[in-house]
Amino acid sequence: MTLEVFGFWALAVVLVGSALAVVLTKNLFHSVLWLALALTGTAGIFLMLDAEFLAGVQILLYAGGVVTVVVFAIVVTERLVGTKLSHTSRRAWLGGGVAAMFLAVMLSQLARVPLSPLKIPMESDPTRLIGSAVLTRFLLPFELLAVVLLVSLLAASYFARPEE
Amino acid sequence: MMALPESAVAAIAGVILLLSVIGVVTYVTLLERKFAARMQSRIGPYRVGWHGILQPIADALKLMMKEDIVPRDADRRVFNLAPIVFLIPCLLIFATIPFAPGLGVADLNIGILFFLAVSSMEIVGLFMAGWSSNNKYALISAMRAVNQIISYDLPFLFAALIPVLLAGSLRLSDIANAQSGSVFMWFIAYPVIGQLGFLAFVIASVAAENRVPFDILEAESELVAGFRVEYSGMKFALIQLGEYAHVLGTSFLGALLFLGAWSGPGPEWLGPVWFLLKALGVFLVITWIRWSFVRIRVDQILQISWKLLMPLTMLLVIATAITVVWRSAGV
Repeated sequence: MTLEVFGFWALAVVLVGSALAVVLTKNLFHSVLWLALALTGTAGIFLMLDAEFLAGVQILLYAGGVVTVVVFAIVVTERLVGTKLSHTSRRAWLGGGVAAMFLAVMLSQLARVPLSPLKIPMESDPTRLIGSAVLTRFLLPFELLAVVLLVSLLAASYFARPEE
Repeated sequence: MMALPESAVAAIAGVILLLSVIGVVTYVTLLERKFAARMQSRIGPYRVGWHGILQPIADALKLMMKEDIVPRDADRRVFNLAPIVFLIPCLLIFATIPFAPGLGVADLNIGILFFLAVSSMEIVGLFMAGWSSNNKYALISAMRAVNQIISYDLPFLFAALIPVLLAGSLRLSDIANAQSGSVFMWFIAYPVIGQLGFLAFVIASVAAENRVPFDILEAESELVAGFRVEYSGMKFALIQLGEYAHVLGTSFLGALLFLGAWSGPGPEWLGPVWFLLKALGVFLVITWIRWSFVRIRVDQILQISWKLLMPLTMLLVIATAITVVWRSAGV
Protein backbone atom coordinates (compact mmCIF):
# COMPACT_ATOMS: atom_id res chain seq x y z
CA MET A 1 0.00 0.00 0.00
CA THR A 2 1.96 2.93 1.24
CA LEU A 3 5.68 3.35 1.09
CA GLU A 4 5.89 2.56 4.77
CA VAL A 5 4.23 -0.84 4.45
CA PHE A 6 6.40 -1.66 1.49
CA GLY A 7 9.48 -0.63 3.45
CA PHE A 8 8.46 -2.77 6.38
CA TRP A 9 8.01 -5.89 4.27
CA ALA A 10 11.24 -5.32 2.41
CA LEU A 11 13.07 -4.96 5.71
CA ALA A 12 11.29 -8.01 7.11
CA VAL A 13 12.38 -10.16 4.19
CA VAL A 14 15.97 -8.94 4.49
CA LEU A 15 15.99 -9.45 8.24
CA VAL A 16 14.53 -12.93 8.30
CA GLY A 17 16.54 -14.02 5.29
CA SER A 18 19.84 -12.81 6.66
CA ALA A 19 19.09 -14.17 10.13
CA LEU A 20 18.43 -17.60 8.59
CA ALA A 21 21.59 -17.31 6.54
CA VAL A 22 23.58 -16.64 9.72
CA VAL A 23 22.71 -20.07 11.08
CA LEU A 24 22.49 -22.00 7.83
CA THR A 25 25.72 -21.06 6.05
CA LYS A 26 28.62 -23.37 6.72
CA ASN A 27 31.35 -20.77 6.30
CA LEU A 28 31.86 -18.93 9.57
CA PHE A 29 33.11 -15.76 7.90
CA HIS A 30 30.06 -15.62 5.65
CA SER A 31 27.73 -15.98 8.60
CA VAL A 32 29.39 -13.04 10.32
CA LEU A 33 28.77 -10.98 7.20
CA TRP A 34 25.13 -12.06 7.20
CA LEU A 35 25.01 -11.08 10.88
CA ALA A 36 26.20 -7.61 9.94
CA LEU A 37 23.35 -7.37 7.44
CA ALA A 38 20.83 -8.61 10.01
CA LEU A 39 21.98 -6.06 12.59
CA THR A 40 21.79 -3.27 10.01
CA GLY A 41 18.27 -4.43 9.14
CA THR A 42 17.32 -4.16 12.81
CA ALA A 43 18.53 -0.57 12.73
CA GLY A 44 16.18 -0.06 9.79
CA ILE A 45 13.28 -1.34 11.90
CA PHE A 46 14.20 1.13 14.64
CA LEU A 47 14.27 3.86 12.03
CA MET A 48 10.76 2.98 10.90
CA LEU A 49 9.56 3.28 14.49
CA ASP A 50 10.92 6.86 14.69
CA ALA A 51 13.65 5.77 17.09
CA GLU A 52 16.52 7.36 15.17
CA PHE A 53 18.81 7.45 18.15
CA LEU A 54 18.45 3.72 18.75
CA ALA A 55 19.07 3.05 15.06
CA GLY A 56 22.26 5.08 15.14
CA VAL A 57 23.51 3.39 18.27
CA GLN A 58 22.58 -0.01 16.85
CA ILE A 59 24.78 0.55 13.81
CA LEU A 60 27.59 2.22 15.73
CA LEU A 61 27.84 -0.48 18.38
CA TYR A 62 26.65 -3.69 16.78
CA ALA A 63 27.04 -3.56 13.05
CA GLY A 64 30.31 -1.69 13.30
CA GLY A 65 31.87 -2.73 16.55
CA VAL A 66 30.72 -6.21 17.40
CA VAL A 67 31.07 -7.53 13.88
CA THR A 68 34.56 -6.10 13.77
CA VAL A 69 35.57 -7.95 16.89
CA VAL A 70 33.95 -11.21 15.79
CA VAL A 71 35.58 -11.06 12.37
CA PHE A 72 38.89 -10.33 14.00
CA ALA A 73 38.60 -13.42 16.18
CA ILE A 74 37.70 -15.65 13.23
CA VAL A 75 40.48 -14.48 10.99
CA VAL A 76 43.07 -14.87 13.69
CA THR A 77 42.02 -18.44 14.36
CA GLU A 78 41.39 -19.59 10.82
CA ARG A 79 43.79 -18.04 8.36
CA LEU A 80 46.73 -17.43 10.65
CA VAL A 81 46.65 -20.49 12.85
CA GLY A 82 45.51 -22.76 10.07
CA THR A 83 42.63 -24.63 11.66
CA LYS A 84 39.49 -24.43 9.61
CA LEU A 85 36.38 -23.49 11.52
CA SER A 86 33.01 -24.39 10.16
CA HIS A 87 29.51 -24.39 11.48
CA THR A 88 27.84 -27.57 12.50
CA SER A 89 24.12 -27.84 12.97
CA ARG A 90 24.13 -30.97 15.07
CA ARG A 91 21.46 -29.99 17.55
CA ALA A 92 19.39 -28.05 15.07
CA TRP A 93 16.17 -29.70 16.23
CA LEU A 94 16.72 -28.68 19.85
CA GLY A 95 17.51 -25.13 18.79
CA GLY A 96 14.46 -25.09 16.57
CA GLY A 97 12.33 -26.26 19.48
CA VAL A 98 13.61 -23.47 21.71
CA ALA A 99 12.98 -20.96 18.93
CA ALA A 100 9.45 -22.29 18.41
CA MET A 101 8.72 -22.03 22.13
CA PHE A 102 10.04 -18.48 22.16
CA LEU A 103 7.82 -17.63 19.22
CA ALA A 104 4.81 -19.15 20.99
CA VAL A 105 5.45 -17.05 24.10
CA MET A 106 5.82 -13.90 22.04
CA LEU A 107 2.69 -14.58 20.01
CA SER A 108 0.59 -15.39 23.08
CA GLN A 109 1.66 -12.13 24.67
CA LEU A 110 1.06 -10.15 21.51
CA ALA A 111 -2.37 -11.70 21.05
CA ARG A 112 -3.53 -10.26 24.36
CA VAL A 113 -2.95 -6.67 23.32
CA PRO A 114 -5.06 -5.23 20.54
CA LEU A 115 -2.62 -4.11 17.89
CA SER A 116 -3.51 -1.09 15.87
CA PRO A 117 -2.05 -0.70 12.41
CA LEU A 118 -1.80 3.04 13.00
CA LYS A 119 1.50 4.37 14.22
CA ILE A 120 1.08 6.48 17.32
CA PRO A 121 2.93 9.76 16.88
CA MET A 122 5.76 10.43 19.31
CA GLU A 123 4.88 12.90 22.03
CA SER A 124 8.35 14.35 22.11
CA ASP A 125 11.83 13.74 20.79
CA PRO A 126 12.80 10.20 21.88
CA THR A 127 16.48 11.13 21.76
CA ARG A 128 15.89 13.81 24.38
CA LEU A 129 13.79 11.40 26.46
CA ILE A 130 16.51 8.74 26.44
CA GLY A 131 19.13 11.28 27.38
CA SER A 132 17.28 12.70 30.33
CA ALA A 133 16.11 9.28 31.54
CA VAL A 134 19.65 7.89 31.54
CA LEU A 135 21.01 10.87 33.44
CA THR A 136 18.23 11.20 36.01
CA ARG A 137 16.05 8.21 36.80
CA PHE A 138 18.41 5.50 35.59
CA LEU A 139 21.65 7.16 36.62
CA LEU A 140 22.62 4.47 39.11
CA PRO A 141 22.16 1.48 36.72
CA PHE A 142 23.95 3.47 34.05
CA GLU A 143 26.95 4.07 36.30
CA LEU A 144 26.88 0.45 37.47
CA LEU A 145 27.10 -0.67 33.85
CA ALA A 146 30.18 1.48 33.45
CA VAL A 147 31.72 -0.18 36.52
CA VAL A 148 30.95 -3.64 35.14
CA LEU A 149 32.63 -2.74 31.87
CA LEU A 150 35.64 -1.37 33.73
CA VAL A 151 35.95 -4.57 35.75
CA SER A 152 35.82 -6.71 32.62
CA LEU A 153 38.43 -4.50 30.96
CA LEU A 154 40.73 -4.89 33.95
CA ALA A 155 40.16 -8.65 33.96
CA ALA A 156 40.93 -8.85 30.25
CA SER A 157 44.19 -6.98 30.65
CA TYR A 158 45.05 -9.22 33.62
CA PHE A 159 44.62 -12.34 31.49
CA ALA A 160 46.48 -10.82 28.57
CA ARG A 161 49.52 -9.82 30.62
CA PRO A 162 52.88 -11.17 29.49
CA GLU A 163 54.06 -14.33 31.24
CA GLU A 164 56.79 -13.86 33.76
CA MET B 1 -0.87 11.11 -0.77
CA MET B 2 1.71 13.79 -0.20
CA ALA B 3 4.26 11.13 0.62
CA LEU B 4 5.08 10.25 -2.96
CA PRO B 5 6.15 13.63 -4.36
CA GLU B 6 8.20 14.17 -1.19
CA SER B 7 10.05 10.91 -1.62
CA ALA B 8 10.58 11.71 -5.31
CA VAL B 9 12.14 15.03 -4.31
CA ALA B 10 14.36 13.23 -1.82
CA ALA B 11 15.40 10.72 -4.47
CA ILE B 12 16.29 13.46 -6.96
CA ALA B 13 18.22 15.37 -4.30
CA GLY B 14 20.07 12.18 -3.45
CA VAL B 15 21.06 11.56 -7.06
CA ILE B 16 22.26 15.15 -7.52
CA LEU B 17 24.27 14.96 -4.30
CA LEU B 18 25.77 11.61 -5.27
CA LEU B 19 26.87 12.85 -8.69
CA SER B 20 28.35 16.05 -7.34
CA VAL B 21 30.17 14.16 -4.59
CA ILE B 22 31.68 11.81 -7.14
CA GLY B 23 32.62 14.78 -9.34
CA VAL B 24 34.25 16.68 -6.50
CA VAL B 25 36.04 13.55 -5.26
CA THR B 26 37.60 12.92 -8.69
CA TYR B 27 38.94 16.45 -8.76
CA VAL B 28 40.10 16.30 -5.15
CA THR B 29 42.58 13.63 -6.27
CA LEU B 30 44.03 16.11 -8.76
CA LEU B 31 44.18 18.76 -6.02
CA GLU B 32 46.08 16.40 -3.78
CA ARG B 33 48.52 15.41 -6.53
CA LYS B 34 49.21 19.04 -7.43
CA PHE B 35 49.58 20.01 -3.77
CA ALA B 36 51.93 17.11 -3.05
CA ALA B 37 53.96 17.92 -6.16
CA ARG B 38 54.38 21.54 -5.11
CA MET B 39 55.48 20.45 -1.64
CA GLN B 40 58.18 18.31 -3.23
CA SER B 41 59.24 20.94 -5.81
CA ARG B 42 57.65 19.00 -8.64
CA ILE B 43 55.06 20.08 -11.16
CA GLY B 44 52.64 17.18 -10.95
CA PRO B 45 50.15 16.18 -13.66
CA TYR B 46 50.63 18.62 -16.50
CA ARG B 47 50.17 16.99 -19.87
CA VAL B 48 46.49 16.06 -20.01
CA GLY B 49 44.69 19.33 -20.63
CA TRP B 50 45.61 22.74 -19.29
CA HIS B 51 47.83 22.17 -16.22
CA GLY B 52 46.64 18.57 -16.11
CA ILE B 53 43.01 19.58 -15.64
CA LEU B 54 41.74 16.49 -17.48
CA GLN B 55 43.98 14.06 -15.60
CA PRO B 56 41.21 12.63 -13.31
CA ILE B 57 39.07 11.84 -16.36
CA ALA B 58 41.99 10.14 -18.08
CA ASP B 59 42.64 8.14 -14.90
CA ALA B 60 39.01 7.06 -14.67
CA LEU B 61 38.98 5.98 -18.33
CA LYS B 62 42.19 4.06 -17.88
CA LEU B 63 40.88 2.22 -14.82
CA MET B 64 37.65 1.35 -16.60
CA MET B 65 39.50 -0.26 -19.48
CA LYS B 66 41.84 -2.34 -17.32
CA GLU B 67 41.39 -6.06 -17.08
CA ASP B 68 39.32 -7.21 -14.15
CA ILE B 69 41.24 -9.95 -12.34
CA VAL B 70 39.86 -12.23 -9.65
CA PRO B 71 42.44 -14.49 -8.00
CA ARG B 72 41.72 -18.20 -8.46
CA ASP B 73 41.55 -19.04 -4.77
CA ALA B 74 39.72 -15.92 -3.73
CA ASP B 75 36.30 -16.08 -2.16
CA ARG B 76 34.69 -14.88 -5.36
CA ARG B 77 31.35 -13.55 -4.12
CA VAL B 78 32.78 -11.72 -1.11
CA PHE B 79 35.65 -10.45 -3.24
CA ASN B 80 33.28 -8.91 -5.77
CA LEU B 81 30.95 -7.51 -3.15
CA ALA B 82 33.63 -5.90 -0.96
CA PRO B 83 34.29 -2.72 -3.00
CA ILE B 84 30.58 -1.94 -3.02
CA VAL B 85 30.16 -2.57 0.70
CA PHE B 86 33.18 -0.34 1.21
CA LEU B 87 31.88 2.44 -1.03
CA ILE B 88 28.29 2.71 0.24
CA PRO B 89 29.07 3.97 3.77
CA CYS B 90 31.63 6.38 2.35
CA LEU B 91 29.00 7.98 0.13
CA LEU B 92 26.20 7.71 2.68
CA ILE B 93 27.97 10.00 5.14
CA PHE B 94 27.19 12.92 2.83
CA ALA B 95 23.45 12.32 3.19
CA THR B 96 23.11 14.10 6.50
CA ILE B 97 25.45 17.04 5.86
CA PRO B 98 23.53 20.29 5.32
CA PHE B 99 25.36 22.37 2.71
CA ALA B 100 23.37 25.52 3.45
CA PRO B 101 20.37 26.29 5.65
CA GLY B 102 17.78 23.79 4.45
CA LEU B 103 19.95 22.44 1.64
CA GLY B 104 20.76 18.80 2.29
CA VAL B 105 19.31 15.38 1.64
CA ALA B 106 18.30 14.50 5.20
CA ASP B 107 18.78 16.78 8.17
CA LEU B 108 18.37 14.07 10.80
CA ASN B 109 18.03 14.97 14.45
CA ILE B 110 20.80 12.48 15.14
CA GLY B 111 22.94 13.85 12.30
CA ILE B 112 26.35 13.45 13.87
CA LEU B 113 25.53 10.04 15.30
CA PHE B 114 24.44 8.91 11.83
CA PHE B 115 27.73 10.15 10.40
CA LEU B 116 29.81 8.31 12.99
CA ALA B 117 27.74 5.12 12.80
CA VAL B 118 27.80 4.92 9.02
CA SER B 119 31.49 5.66 8.73
CA SER B 120 32.19 2.88 11.24
CA MET B 121 30.53 0.47 8.79
CA GLU B 122 33.35 1.01 6.34
CA ILE B 123 35.53 -1.48 8.19
CA VAL B 124 33.19 -4.30 7.20
CA GLY B 125 33.88 -3.71 3.51
CA LEU B 126 37.57 -3.30 4.14
CA PHE B 127 37.68 -6.56 6.02
CA MET B 128 35.75 -8.38 3.33
CA ALA B 129 38.32 -7.20 0.79
CA GLY B 130 41.26 -8.19 2.96
CA TRP B 131 39.92 -11.61 3.87
CA SER B 132 38.46 -12.73 0.56
CA SER B 133 41.59 -11.90 -1.47
CA ASN B 134 43.25 -14.95 0.05
CA ASN B 135 46.49 -13.05 0.20
CA LYS B 136 48.64 -12.74 3.29
CA TYR B 137 49.46 -9.09 2.70
CA ALA B 138 45.80 -8.23 2.32
CA LEU B 139 44.91 -10.16 5.47
CA ILE B 140 47.62 -8.57 7.61
CA SER B 141 46.52 -5.20 6.32
CA ALA B 142 42.90 -5.88 7.29
CA MET B 143 43.98 -6.94 10.77
CA ARG B 144 46.00 -3.79 11.23
CA ALA B 145 42.99 -1.80 10.09
CA VAL B 146 40.85 -3.31 12.85
CA ASN B 147 43.55 -2.54 15.38
CA GLN B 148 43.62 1.04 14.32
CA ILE B 149 39.88 1.54 14.02
CA ILE B 150 39.25 0.19 17.51
CA SER B 151 41.87 2.58 18.87
CA TYR B 152 40.82 5.71 17.02
CA ASP B 153 37.05 5.41 16.97
CA LEU B 154 36.71 6.64 20.52
CA PRO B 155 38.98 9.72 20.33
CA PHE B 156 37.21 10.67 17.10
CA LEU B 157 33.84 10.30 18.80
CA PHE B 158 34.90 12.32 21.82
CA ALA B 159 36.41 15.07 19.68
CA ALA B 160 33.19 15.28 17.69
CA LEU B 161 31.22 15.43 20.96
CA ILE B 162 32.77 18.76 21.95
CA PRO B 163 30.86 20.85 19.36
CA VAL B 164 27.76 18.77 20.11
CA LEU B 165 27.95 19.78 23.76
CA LEU B 166 28.65 23.41 22.91
CA ALA B 167 25.72 23.59 20.52
CA GLY B 168 23.45 21.39 22.64
CA SER B 169 22.20 19.36 19.68
CA LEU B 170 23.07 16.31 17.62
CA ARG B 171 21.49 17.85 14.53
CA LEU B 172 24.19 19.09 12.18
CA SER B 173 22.27 22.18 11.05
CA ASP B 174 21.81 23.23 14.70
CA ILE B 175 25.54 22.89 15.28
CA ALA B 176 26.19 25.03 12.20
CA ASN B 177 23.62 27.64 13.23
CA ALA B 178 25.15 27.91 16.70
CA GLN B 179 28.32 29.19 15.05
CA SER B 180 26.76 31.74 12.70
CA GLY B 181 27.60 35.37 13.11
CA SER B 182 31.26 36.23 13.31
CA VAL B 183 34.49 34.26 13.19
CA PHE B 184 34.58 34.37 16.96
CA MET B 185 31.44 32.28 17.11
CA TRP B 186 33.15 29.37 15.37
CA PHE B 187 33.84 26.60 17.81
CA ILE B 188 37.52 26.60 16.91
CA ALA B 189 37.67 30.09 18.43
CA TYR B 190 36.35 28.79 21.74
CA PRO B 191 39.18 29.37 24.25
CA VAL B 192 41.48 26.35 24.66
CA ILE B 193 38.74 23.73 24.20
CA GLY B 194 38.10 24.68 20.58
CA GLN B 195 41.70 24.59 19.40
CA LEU B 196 42.64 21.42 21.24
CA GLY B 197 39.41 19.78 20.13
CA PHE B 198 40.08 20.63 16.49
CA LEU B 199 43.63 19.31 16.79
CA ALA B 200 42.39 16.03 18.28
CA PHE B 201 39.71 15.82 15.60
CA VAL B 202 42.24 16.22 12.80
CA ILE B 203 44.63 13.64 14.26
CA ALA B 204 41.85 11.13 14.90
CA SER B 205 40.38 11.59 11.44
CA VAL B 206 43.75 11.15 9.74
CA ALA B 207 44.07 7.89 11.68
CA ALA B 208 40.50 6.84 10.90
CA GLU B 209 41.18 7.39 7.20
CA ASN B 210 44.36 5.32 7.38
CA ARG B 211 46.51 8.01 5.81
CA VAL B 212 50.18 8.77 6.47
CA PRO B 213 51.52 8.84 9.17
CA PHE B 214 48.94 6.23 10.24
CA ASP B 215 48.95 4.18 7.05
CA ILE B 216 50.49 0.98 8.38
CA LEU B 217 47.74 -1.01 6.73
CA GLU B 218 48.90 -0.09 3.27
CA ALA B 219 52.57 0.38 4.01
CA GLU B 220 53.92 -0.04 0.48
CA SER B 221 57.35 -1.24 1.55
CA GLU B 222 55.98 -4.15 3.57
CA LEU B 223 52.42 -4.87 2.44
CA VAL B 224 52.47 -3.82 -1.23
CA ALA B 225 49.08 -2.11 -1.38
CA GLY B 226 47.48 -3.58 1.71
CA PHE B 227 43.93 -4.88 1.61
CA ARG B 228 43.42 -3.80 -2.02
CA VAL B 229 46.49 -5.58 -3.38
CA GLU B 230 44.48 -8.06 -5.48
CA TYR B 231 42.04 -5.54 -6.88
CA SER B 232 42.36 -4.13 -10.36
CA GLY B 233 40.40 -2.06 -12.83
CA MET B 234 37.02 -0.74 -11.83
CA LYS B 235 36.92 -2.43 -8.43
CA PHE B 236 40.18 -0.74 -7.50
CA ALA B 237 38.68 2.53 -8.69
CA LEU B 238 35.65 2.00 -6.44
CA ILE B 239 37.85 1.45 -3.40
CA GLN B 240 39.90 4.55 -4.19
CA LEU B 241 36.71 6.54 -4.72
CA GLY B 242 35.41 5.36 -1.35
CA GLU B 243 38.60 6.35 0.43
CA TYR B 244 38.66 9.82 -1.05
CA ALA B 245 34.95 10.28 -0.41
CA HIS B 246 35.53 9.39 3.22
CA VAL B 247 38.35 11.92 3.52
CA LEU B 248 36.23 14.58 1.87
CA GLY B 249 33.21 13.75 4.06
CA THR B 250 35.32 14.01 7.19
CA SER B 251 36.69 17.33 5.92
CA PHE B 252 33.13 18.60 5.55
CA LEU B 253 32.33 17.37 9.05
CA GLY B 254 35.39 19.13 10.45
CA ALA B 255 34.46 22.37 8.68
CA LEU B 256 30.94 22.05 10.01
CA LEU B 257 31.86 21.18 13.59
CA PHE B 258 34.68 23.64 14.16
CA LEU B 259 34.82 26.18 11.32
CA GLY B 260 31.28 27.47 11.25
CA ALA B 261 30.05 25.60 8.15
CA TRP B 262 28.42 28.06 5.74
CA SER B 263 28.93 31.25 7.75
CA GLY B 264 31.05 33.82 5.97
CA PRO B 265 30.93 37.29 4.44
CA GLY B 266 28.86 38.09 1.40
CA PRO B 267 25.28 37.24 0.45
CA GLU B 268 23.54 34.16 1.72
CA TRP B 269 23.87 32.18 -1.52
CA LEU B 270 27.64 32.22 -1.04
CA GLY B 271 27.17 29.95 1.99
CA PRO B 272 27.74 26.61 0.20
CA VAL B 273 30.82 28.08 -1.50
CA TRP B 274 32.27 29.08 1.85
CA PHE B 275 31.47 25.65 3.21
CA LEU B 276 33.19 23.95 0.28
CA LEU B 277 36.24 26.20 0.63
CA LYS B 278 36.49 25.46 4.36
CA ALA B 279 36.12 21.73 3.75
CA LEU B 280 38.85 21.87 1.11
CA GLY B 281 40.95 23.77 3.65
CA VAL B 282 40.57 20.93 6.14
CA PHE B 283 41.32 18.49 3.33
CA LEU B 284 44.54 20.35 2.52
CA VAL B 285 45.58 20.26 6.18
CA ILE B 286 45.12 16.49 6.13
CA THR B 287 47.08 16.29 2.86
CA TRP B 288 49.78 18.53 4.28
CA ILE B 289 50.16 16.15 7.23
CA ARG B 290 50.28 13.24 4.82
CA TRP B 291 53.17 14.62 2.82
CA SER B 292 55.12 15.95 5.81
CA PHE B 293 55.47 13.01 8.15
CA VAL B 294 56.93 9.54 7.93
CA ARG B 295 55.00 6.43 8.74
CA ILE B 296 55.05 5.51 12.42
CA ARG B 297 55.13 2.04 13.95
CA VAL B 298 52.15 0.05 15.19
CA ASP B 299 53.05 0.40 18.85
CA GLN B 300 53.56 4.14 18.43
CA ILE B 301 50.16 4.44 16.80
CA LEU B 302 48.50 2.59 19.67
CA GLN B 303 50.38 4.63 22.25
CA ILE B 304 49.38 7.93 20.69
CA SER B 305 45.79 6.80 20.75
CA TRP B 306 45.46 5.31 24.23
CA LYS B 307 47.99 7.36 26.16
CA LEU B 308 47.62 10.76 24.55
CA LEU B 309 44.52 11.22 22.45
CA MET B 310 42.09 9.29 24.64
CA PRO B 311 42.84 11.08 27.93
CA LEU B 312 43.06 14.42 26.14
CA THR B 313 39.70 14.13 24.41
CA MET B 314 38.03 12.76 27.56
CA LEU B 315 39.34 15.69 29.59
CA LEU B 316 38.19 18.06 26.88
CA VAL B 317 34.68 16.60 26.91
CA ILE B 318 34.52 16.93 30.70
CA ALA B 319 35.85 20.49 30.53
CA THR B 320 33.30 21.33 27.85
CA ALA B 321 30.47 19.89 29.93
CA ILE B 322 31.57 21.91 32.96
CA THR B 323 31.81 25.07 30.85
CA VAL B 324 28.38 24.55 29.37
CA VAL B 325 26.76 23.97 32.77
CA TRP B 326 28.62 26.89 34.32
CA ARG B 327 27.67 29.18 31.46
CA SER B 328 24.02 28.27 31.59
CA ALA B 329 23.96 28.64 35.38
CA GLY B 330 25.75 31.99 35.21
CA VAL B 331 23.30 33.52 32.74
